Amino acid sequence: MSTEGKVALVTGSGRGIGRATALKLASQGTDIIVNFFRRREAAEQTARDIEAMGVKAEVIRANVGDPAKIDEMFDAIDAKFGRLDILINNAASGVGRSILDVDVKAWDWTMNINARAALLCAQRAAKLMEKGSIIVNISSLGSSFAWPTYAAVGISKAALEALTRYLAIELAPRGIHVNAVAASAVDTEALRFYIREGFVKDNRQATPAGRMVAPEDVANAVAFLCSEEAFMIRGQTIIVDGGTSVAPFIIPKESEL
Amino acid sequence: MSIEERIREIIANIVHVEKDILTRESTFKDIKADSLDMVQALVAVEDEYDIEIPDEDAQNFQTFGDFIAYVENHVAEKEKS
Repeated sequence: MSTEGKVALVTGSGRGIGRATALKLASQGTDIIVNFFRRREAAEQTARDIEAMGVKAEVIRANVGDPAKIDEMFDAIDAKFGRLDILINNAASGVGRSILDVDVKAWDWTMNINARAALLCAQRAAKLMEKGSIIVNISSLGSSFAWPTYAAVGISKAALEALTRYLAIELAPRGIHVNAVAASAVDTEALRFYIREGFVKDNRQATPAGRMVAPEDVANAVAFLCSEEAFMIRGQTIIVDGGTSVAPFIIPKESEL
Repeated sequence: MSIEERIREIIANIVHVEKDILTRESTFKDIKADSLDMVQALVAVEDEYDIEIPDEDAQNFQTFGDFIAYVENHVAEKEKS
């Protein structure tokens, strides 16, 4: 699997899954555009770590919830690189509320960043992409299950997965491959907005694979979808959850793991 | 309009409170603003003055006075450069 010599934009790559994905692609020789919104220091650290691997890193600040900022970001990418080979729509936000408390502001904020941004980035990216280019959207199992306080995000991720299917079909004639990766709870800073006390231990026990999903597990699946070996996979959402969605109610005892 | 006055207006619009109740000593907690209100206020002020307020800096704001002073300083710095 190689993405050597290619240029990839990973939205929200200062931290968590985005950072792990950016580092994974960089380790394969890919130049990376590190997009961030709120944490400049984290993004610059990601960029330094990428450059240490001998590839280029370009940091671009943009709130992908704002269409004008997406346009500015792609104008900058066009000016600097003149092309884009890989787009990873990873940036996400949301509010941890019961569905009855999801107001218009919370809905719009979440949908605009998690779903609309992926559409707008794909539209701009497609203009810079040649045959063989790749788009991967980062989803979540909350698109298929109903987790407490996750309604707004879960619904936006369901939209993202539907978007993945439509993009895959409509961009296939142009040779652009589109898929998604959906993870269960991933051990990142973002997770702490949603979890209750004891969640990590319970999650580990409920995961047949025996541990929580790490950002690198998601990054590995993304890297595979970016490879030639994934040529015939289109419009799919690959689940990375250590088996929890296959056996959601089985909680093995510690001694069985 | 002064920076202070404009920031009070932006926050009042986002959180849906009367801007007269916002003083330099007020906090987001006082006006029952949640984390989404806070980030939207930061983004609106960033767009208004074309400055960047990273979370690393914003998390040090105790009161609106701290927020206003930060913006005043950054706008002044920007004008100098």
